[in-house]
Amino acid sequence: MLFSEALGRSVVRTDTASTVGRVSDYVVDPRLPGVVALILSKTSSQGSALPWPNIIAFGVDAVTVPSAAAVVEPDPYLAELAGKPHTLLHKRVLTTSGVQLGTVLDVDFDPTIGRLAALLLEQGPIDAARLLGVGSYAVMVRA
Amino acid sequence: MSILLRSSEINKLPVVTFAGEDIAQVKDIMYAAHGGQIGGFTLNGRGMFSGPLKTALPWESVVGLGPDAVVIRDEGALTPTESLRAATQSGGPSGDILGSQVLTDDGAALGVVVDVVIEVADGGGGQADVVGYEIDPAEGVGRGTNRMLIPLPDTMSASGEYLMVPAAAREFVTDDLAGFGAAVDDFRAHLRGQR
Repeated sequence: MLFSEALGRSVVRTDTASTVGRVSDYVVDPRLPGVVALILSKTSSQGSALPWPNIIAFGVDAVTVPSAAAVVEPDPYLAELAGKPHTLLHKRVLTTSGVQLGTVLDVDFDPTIGRLAALLLEQGPIDAARLLGVGSYAVMVRA
Repeated sequence: MSILLRSSEINKLPVVTFAGEDIAQVKDIMYAAHGGQIGGFTLNGRGMFSGPLKTALPWESVVGLGPDAVVIRDEGALTPTESLRAATQSGGPSGDILGSQVLTDDGAALGVVVDVVIEVADGGGGQADVVGYEIDPAEGVGRGTNRMLIPLPDTMSASGEYLMVPAAAREFVTDDLAGFGAAVDDFRAHLRGQR
């Protein structure tokens, strides 16, 4: 599944069948590399982060969670990885050889476990296993 | 695979960590081994108004040097500028090669050095050798104002005023970096054959 496909998707509680928010961003840990949480918009509850283990299913039409308690305030681990400096989309990709490969247009990930599969660039896909870090200047990949 | 870069292209390159942060940019190249290799970089802060940093980057800590960035593992790669300066400038003409006259050993002036061509072995990890110079040609060379690239042997002599090259270097002059790698190899092979 692509990051762009799932943006805006509804997040629905299974206990009341009501919407708790919409997917507005992804929190990625480049060390895994994988999605460790979703950031939600239009939440009615206190927090805005949905940690990956709290998700029942990342479906093709909606993301399901057991209850409103699944959505929380980001803990220090998530807070460090979240935010604009760590987003992947539209960021330049640099190799450890100091060569710029392009910019990230989209990210392919496995919706069952959250693992990243590939970074999609105009020049072609890059295996996500090469990912080293995501910073304010660049997405770093192994040469 | 090695790549060729001009020193002017290396200046101002961002210094980027594995975490993807640009923590500095190259201010100047410090040469080591009598000007034959890169010894490290002095640094400026990032941004229009940030000045020189008190820390510098020794070549041993560089993971990769390419056309778009200097890559390091983390901030721990930086050392105080003074200690690196002491280590790299122990003798030799260092970086004062720009502007010196190029003379062949048979006494012909080829022109003035305007840029340094550096070969980076396998994107860092190895050495970054000075393999040639870009030269603003003298009138006697008969090339008009087209700049030329001239390969260098592994050893050379330089005084800051003159840069001596073997007369044979003239035959291996190229116009652009694309053909320059082959010219360097040919020229070195030629010199080895003579010895």
